[in-house]
Amino acid sequence: MTKPAVAEPLPYGLRLYGAVGTLAGAVIALQIAVMRVFAVGSWSHFGSLVVSLAMLGFGMASVLIFLLKGWLDRHGIDCASVALALFGPLAVGTNLVAQLVPFNAIFLISDPMQKWRLLANFLLYLLPFLSGAFFLGIVFRQGKEHFNRLYFADLMGSGLAGLAILGALYVLPPEKLLVAPLVLWAVALVLWMGAAQVRKVSAALVGAGLVLAGYLMLPAALGVPDIAVSPYKGVSYARNFPDAKRLYRSISPFGDLQVYSSSYMHFAPGLSDNAAFNVPELPANTYVGMFIDGEGPSGIMRPLPPEDAAYYQYLPMYYPYVVKPQAKVFVVQFGGGLSAMTALNAGASSVTIAEGNPEVLRAFRSPELAEATGNILADPRVKEVGYDGRLYLAHTDERYDVIDLSLADSVGLSNPGGFAIAEKYAYTQQALQSYINGLAEGGVLSVTLWNKEEPPKSVLRFYATMAKAAQAAGGDWAKSLFVSESYLSTTTVLYKKGGFTDADLAALRQHTADLSFDEVYSPGIPFDPASAKGILEQYQASIFADGPATDAAPTGDATTSGDGISDAPTEGTQTAVPSTTLARLVWQGLVQGGSADVTPRYVFDIQPLTDDRPYFAGYIRPADLLRTLDRLDTLQDDWGYLLLWATFAVACLAAAALILPPMMFGGRNRIGGGKLAIILYFGCLGLGYITVEVGLINWFTRALTNPTIAASIVLSGMLVFSGLGSWVAEKIKSADRMLPVLIAAVAFSLGAMTLALPAVLETIGALPYLGRIVSCLALVAPVAFLMGFPMATAMNGLAARGRDQMFVWAWGINGSFSVIGAAAVPLIAVSFGLGAVLEVAAVAYALAILAFLSMRQAR
Amino acid sequence: MDRRSFLALSIAAAAWPELSKANVPVPYDWTANPPMDDRTKFIDWMVTNRGEDPDFLGQRYDRFLSLIANKDIWNDRNKRAYLMTPREEFVTAANLSRAYQVHFLDIGFGVTITGPHSVARMTNTIDPQMGERVLEVGTGSGYQSAYLSNLTDQVFSIEIVQKLYERTGGIYEALIAKGYSEYSAITRKNDDGYYGWEEHAPFDKIIVTCGIDHVPPPLLQQLKPDGVMVIPVGPPGAQHVLKVVKQEGADGKFTVARSDIYHGSIVNFVPFTKLERGKIVGTHSN
Repeated sequence: MTKPAVAEPLPYGLRLYGAVGTLAGAVIALQIAVMRVFAVGSWSHFGSLVVSLAMLGFGMASVLIFLLKGWLDRHGIDCASVALALFGPLAVGTNLVAQLVPFNAIFLISDPMQKWRLLANFLLYLLPFLSGAFFLGIVFRQGKEHFNRLYFADLMGSGLAGLAILGALYVLPPEKLLVAPLVLWAVALVLWMGAAQVRKVSAALVGAGLVLAGYLMLPAALGVPDIAVSPYKGVSYARNFPDAKRLYRSISPFGDLQVYSSSYMHFAPGLSDNAAFNVPELPANTYVGMFIDGEGPSGIMRPLPPEDAAYYQYLPMYYPYVVKPQAKVFVVQFGGGLSAMTALNAGASSVTIAEGNPEVLRAFRSPELAEATGNILADPRVKEVGYDGRLYLAHTDERYDVIDLSLADSVGLSNPGGFAIAEKYAYTQQALQSYINGLAEGGVLSVTLWNKEEPPKSVLRFYATMAKAAQAAGGDWAKSLFVSESYLSTTTVLYKKGGFTDADLAALRQHTADLSFDEVYSPGIPFDPASAKGILEQYQASIFADGPATDAAPTGDATTSGDGISDAPTEGTQTAVPSTTLARLVWQGLVQGGSADVTPRYVFDIQPLTDDRPYFAGYIRPADLLRTLDRLDTLQDDWGYLLLWATFAVACLAAAALILPPMMFGGRNRIGGGKLAIILYFGCLGLGYITVEVGLINWFTRALTNPTIAASIVLSGMLVFSGLGSWVAEKIKSADRMLPVLIAAVAFSLGAMTLALPAVLETIGALPYLGRIVSCLALVAPVAFLMGFPMATAMNGLAARGRDQMFVWAWGINGSFSVIGAAAVPLIAVSFGLGAVLEVAAVAYALAILAFLSMRQAR
Repeated sequence: MDRRSFLALSIAAAAWPELSKANVPVPYDWTANPPMDDRTKFIDWMVTNRGEDPDFLGQRYDRFLSLIANKDIWNDRNKRAYLMTPREEFVTAANLSRAYQVHFLDIGFGVTITGPHSVARMTNTIDPQMGERVLEVGTGSGYQSAYLSNLTDQVFSIEIVQKLYERTGGIYEALIAKGYSEYSAITRKNDDGYYGWEEHAPFDKIIVTCGIDHVPPPLLQQLKPDGVMVIPVGPPGAQHVLKVVKQEGADGKFTVARSDIYHGSIVNFVPFTKLERGKIVGTHSN
């Protein structure tokens, strides 16, 4: 074996470890900041895409270091200095330029320029990550004999920065959030230069100051927006209204919450058309609009005078009060407050409201909005639960006459792919069972969803979920359900504990007729299977048939003008629209069960939502994916999911492009054959680690109720405890020998977590918030600690044996597989469930044992 | 004017196509019909009578065949209205080459010009007769009202975004000056379309081209009995067009019947017809 050339020594000491830690922290902070820029400016999915691919910078840096090996032996330290110095200016410059090339998801197919703009965004944001990765890569390589300590500093810095950015989200608005990574970078720069001379430290300070000033002042000076907000975001429309005025703004990890007033705002989600002929016109300026990260609006309504109160009866959330007046009410998600307002107007004796986003309640209590909200929270009948409604109901002994969940996730269920991979724990079978358990005898659960899809998807998935929950509640459950739809508007599902009486059903049917809504299911509803003949095949054909439409043409009626074809053949003999007929067919199947259940035969996957698979996404069956490529226009509302597949494919290709060249080229440095074990080992570690990380974020969102906070806690906890693990690994002389056992312990722990987490998280959900955070950290700690060993120990092994080129290459493999893993997690979760994510990670670690044994044998 | 608005307006102005592509040699005649059965004859007639660009006319005719094949347009009056409306005048310069493609296109301000198949079907669904009052909520690019002005001389259109209202007004003025006198029949205002246009109500037909979470009650009130309204539902990219018919019962009570503009049929929502120089040659997948 060739002895490696002696690399320039690193200036070891606390300053070096500090510089590595803070720069690693800056990289994590930049990731989160860029994702926030995308969430506020356009579409958060593209943020995830751009950032996860930008992390390929680590793979690219390792290839570069590998290729420049000899030169870096002589100039490594200088190169690291330049890479570090460039991180800040690149972060600021590329973010600024990216605002000049915004792209719009909805035109991705129709406008060929959009994909180039997306590529430009990716390449721009790649640059700072590449420079950061280059710095860390060189330092790791030059200091490989101290890999454990450097790795410890890297993980600790990243972990602590995760917590720091969580704090920064409370004080820095999205358009100023890059300050957080820039400050961390400045500290890293000073620490790094501090190892040299005072003059250099001063230069670093001045440089960093200039970069920070540039970030804060350049957009205004150059006339470039801080964040180019898409004109198609809800908030952009509000800002276009001539009398728009921002009444309120709060920034926090719960999002950028803004409230606008304008006389042009009109909200009445799901309002019956019949209101037009039965209710006096509402007074102007009744509403203000609430936007979170520019998405929305959720309408906030001031209380109506008694003469206009009839208005509420024409909203779908009024349904439960038809059979349960003067009720003790629980509103699962407060949102803009319309459900609570409807309940109060329906004569509710008390209304307990829950809201998972504390900033929403804070907004409602603020003096700025007191007039707009009519101080609804101060109403003596209103009681607040300051956290998630599902968690509250699962642990309370209180029982309610009405439990309402209405259009709470309005954005997620009505925007195309808007939150395709967001976990909707409020709508799962287990959640619905909790709501049913929270009902008093004779109590009514009422859930209203948007019904704006054609062909329908989310409503059918919800129907299947509701049927399962009702079935699990026992009794003659089919007699407990009443379902009503308004075409291309809303659907409301009612469940009554103990079953509906004939009088209830008569009242509900009359109300449905008064609203001109369509009854879709009720006990004893007449249903003629002939009316639905061939409908499943027609829906299948509507997406996957080829050739022009053949049955869309109006026919009949020769009395009309023109060429004798009428456009209104069905008027006067109005029959149900196909989606209503389909919904009736689906409900009949759900109630009868067995072969009558048509859900497996529908064109889309409409399996129920469970805590393991809590997604209103992934409707396209994996077997149909390739058939969608020439008809993406028909599936725009599932683009979020399709984008995940695209990200995964790009990540795989990019990783292959980064891993293979050192094997094929590189002259005398070429990595020869027989190195599959190394690829497998470091690939499995990269894949396994990130899979656990992202998987646990999704799991813990259930107990912590907010994905941003869950991400910060899990990331920080895992990185810090893994850092400790890698540090301890250096102290244990026999770590190398013990490694197979330690990795087996990781795989075993992950398997055990898959089984235990559902129950454990349910229990944790009842604790005060701080208790939940501490419990989640405690859950993460043991496995994360163990996961710190395999990477550090094996890298140390490579360094100790002087396998220089392998050392850098292994680091790159690990980084590249991390990107693949991050892209794979949402796909695995949506297709197979969250449990499968940890199982995949366990298998990856198990494979790593085999690879490790093979590597040891080959020595 | 704040900086952002100024910038948006400047970019929009720079992106706007020159308004010199059309020069109408023959005055508008309600009884004049362009040939519909032959591409070359259509282009020749339009060049002679309307002075329009032969290349765009060819694209317009190709899309026309696609509209017919997909049954998005089904009577001669509507066919004529489609053929007489120069869509290329209403798209931005950046999208000029895609003026006759199936897609909706960006026109700035978070507003799109609806795709030609949807415009054709929505319009033929309400099928305005000569002299009927038609209200359009959301003028946008101005294309829809221009199309309507070939069907009736009573078109009323409301736009909420002032800058867009002004920009579209400029386009109409320039086109009227060049001889598109039919656009003089379009009465416009910059206002909140939610409240309809009481002064000109009741309307025989209403066409709404902006998304909202419910059908505005004032519009239902201003619709005549048996009047028809079409209204897109859902966000851009995943919209479906709702058809609303106001019905008066024997007891004098009004109700509303909802359906979609595909008459209850389940269809491909994107036309899959492939066209080449005026001939249907197959579908996207063969």
